[in-house]
Amino acid sequence: MSGTARWPLAGAIALLALPLALSDFWLFIAIEVLAFALYAVSFNVLLGYGGMLSFGHAAFFGVGGYAAALLMKKTGLSAGAAFALVPLAAMVASAALAAVTGFFSVRRSGIYFAMLTFAFQMLLYTVALKATGLTGGDDGMTGLRPPGVLAKPLAYYYFALALVAPALYVLYRLVNSPFGYTLRALRANARRVQYIGVDVRAHQLAAFIITGAFAGLAGGLFALSNGNVFPGWLNWTASATPIVMAVLGGVHTFLGPALGAAVYVVLEVLISGKTEYWPLAMGIIILILVLLMPEGLTGLVKRRAA
Amino acid sequence: MIDSFLQQLAWLQNPVVVARQLLAGVSNGMLLFLICAGLSLIFGVLRIINFAHGALFMLGALIGATAGLAVLGAALETGLLRRIYRAPHEFQLLLTFALVFVLGDVAKLIWGREDHSVAVPAALDGSMRALGLTFPNYRLFLIVVGVAVAVGLWIVLHRTRWGIFVRAATMDRDMLSALGVNTRRLFTSVFAAGAALAGLGGALAAPIVAVGPGLHVQVIIDAFVVVVIGGMGSVLGALVASLLVGIVNAFGVLAFPGLAVVLTFAVMAIVLIVRPWGLFGAPE
Amino acid sequence: MILQVRGLAKRFGGLRALDGVDLAVERGEFRAIIGPNGAGKSTFFNALTGLLRPDDGRVSFEGRDVTGSAPHLLARMGIGRTFQITSIFRDLTAQENVQVSLLAHARQSWSVWPKARALHGDRAKQLLALVGLGNAFERQAATLSHGDQKRLELAIALAGEPRLLLLDEPTAGMAAQERIESITLVHRLARELGLSCVFTEHDMAVVFAVATRITVMHQGRVLAEGAPAEVRAHPEVQQVYLGAGA
Repeated sequence: MSGTARWPLAGAIALLALPLALSDFWLFIAIEVLAFALYAVSFNVLLGYGGMLSFGHAAFFGVGGYAAALLMKKTGLSAGAAFALVPLAAMVASAALAAVTGFFSVRRSGIYFAMLTFAFQMLLYTVALKATGLTGGDDGMTGLRPPGVLAKPLAYYYFALALVAPALYVLYRLVNSPFGYTLRALRANARRVQYIGVDVRAHQLAAFIITGAFAGLAGGLFALSNGNVFPGWLNWTASATPIVMAVLGGVHTFLGPALGAAVYVVLEVLISGKTEYWPLAMGIIILILVLLMPEGLTGLVKRRAA
Repeated sequence: MIDSFLQQLAWLQNPVVVARQLLAGVSNGMLLFLICAGLSLIFGVLRIINFAHGALFMLGALIGATAGLAVLGAALETGLLRRIYRAPHEFQLLLTFALVFVLGDVAKLIWGREDHSVAVPAALDGSMRALGLTFPNYRLFLIVVGVAVAVGLWIVLHRTRWGIFVRAATMDRDMLSALGVNTRRLFTSVFAAGAALAGLGGALAAPIVAVGPGLHVQVIIDAFVVVVIGGMGSVLGALVASLLVGIVNAFGVLAFPGLAVVLTFAVMAIVLIVRPWGLFGAPE
Repeated sequence: MILQVRGLAKRFGGLRALDGVDLAVERGEFRAIIGPNGAGKSTFFNALTGLLRPDDGRVSFEGRDVTGSAPHLLARMGIGRTFQITSIFRDLTAQENVQVSLLAHARQSWSVWPKARALHGDRAKQLLALVGLGNAFERQAATLSHGDQKRLELAIALAGEPRLLLLDEPTAGMAAQERIESITLVHRLARELGLSCVFTEHDMAVVFAVATRITVMHQGRVLAEGAPAEVRAHPEVQQVYLGAGA
């Protein structure tokens, strides 16, 4: 077996077999890792490949979570029927939101683009907080359970894997496709890209919508495993999470952010278990990352290998 | 439906209520101005969006001093911010985010989880009667301080060497270093000044604001709205927009309680879509 | 006529950067636009190619009115452009630079599934060889020398199969000998591929080496125009250039 084929194969085996040895607690963590890996990788398509830094990506993760919750709790559908619709509903809801907010946001670039995404997310946060009839307001929506056997964490893990793995593959094909190349060129030189005949705004909007949709899928998946959704998922501080995960893993590789997500989630679980000062720990980790490890974890690995 | 809407506004006919809200709005606006002036200057000169500015405000409220914040600001700039000026934007963002988390938790560690209550200083307590209405002294004091700071800032920015360098830096940083100005010290001093202003705002706000663990996350939101509307990099814009937001919030809370907050973000989005450099910023 | 410009005007506040520029370029021309600094050459190009919205005037390309059209639409119509400060995709390899341009030209930039690496590879290598970058396919564009980056930019522009090439100071930043070589390459390619070219230039040696026709700009308008010898002998042109280095 060639050297390069070893890693993906080992990874696949680990993803499939390892959960059988995990306790329920760690299975919930593993599910969280899957969801956040998708979230981080899709966010990095926008950042690392498209060169667009969004301050409001948590809006899509949150909307996906709320879409799942509303579907399960407010539509009157049977648990099975509602659950079957969750992935699609989460993606459609986030994509629709991304289409509307993205349409306005991509008209600006750099800092104005970022502040626009921030403003839209805060708008959503306020709605989630105030529309208590629909969203439960500050109390959020709780008691979300997948139906039947999927309520067991092991089963839900494989369900999540069955969604996340193909989703990641789709994103992988996307970044290596002509569209993906165009995105990379856009990041490298937006002006030059116009002069080769590419409608910059349209491509940026498409990237925004696609990454938003996958973030929504991740949010919906996580909400059902976590059991609840809160307005806090839409507060501006939540938008730090995908950025941290992507940079932690390394924005220059496709799966780097997935590694970052795994490390981040596990660290959060371990540290939150011991102290309430997880934000402090996270802040320190970010400082170390930004000042000492700009290439992220994959960068470290590459340097060791070189 | 029109009737109920008009009923909502019935209080407009009551001069006591109007006066009270106006005073609250203007004095809150002045507090916002203290935060936003620094935030705007920091953006104008350092080109960094300091998410941690709310934390500096909160520390000012907890410590009750301004000089300490200036020192902290200088330390943060020289120790941390300086290293990432040439880094990609996501790194700069993450750094200030990290400061939000670290400073917030440090504050929680030192001052605890409960709201920290500060009494209005005795000399400024009580109220004044004029025109048949009552005005809390402290709020009048805040307005006076706000005006004094605004005038002082104007004088510094327009009549001192430092101020002229600062204004030049907001227009063209590279030109400034080409002219031999020590931009490193300028950046440090601007950040320290911004931190000091935020700290002053916090110290002044402490008697009338709930100083609890989430304050630093809350306050920065209004600050961003103001800086966007006023124009990033413009102190005048910060003043005008702060007063606008303060007054609109004060009346909005009476007229449309649920909607007022949504309105601020909607306005922020509209400004960014239509005229992103705000009222007084420089169109790029 | 491949390009016709009538009365193009652009003001920046009180400054009339373009004050009614007329230009007519026939197919197959290799037209030089010269003029002292501040004459409006770059502004003219920017107003032509959609980076600036002209305040007045008309631009037609191959008989079609394209005034104020967006850059990406002009590119699709067959107008290519290079920039004074070389504008390439620095993070991509030379081959990827050209591939992405070929993909855009083939209207494939919306294609989300096929692997782009395998597409247009041969044609990209062909174009790179054409501009003299035959041994630099895998090099990251940022690591190329200044002259090679300019060649790469030319390859990118050629990938779009333009019929009109607008080159803004194509020899900027080069040493004298390299400049002649560079413009000769462009001239040869233009003839081989049947392109019309309009280029701005400061170096008179370069201009007189290859230009078929010269337009002289001064203070936002056309001062003189004609065959190289005519322009060289034109009294006003000599006056404007008196003291300005050749």
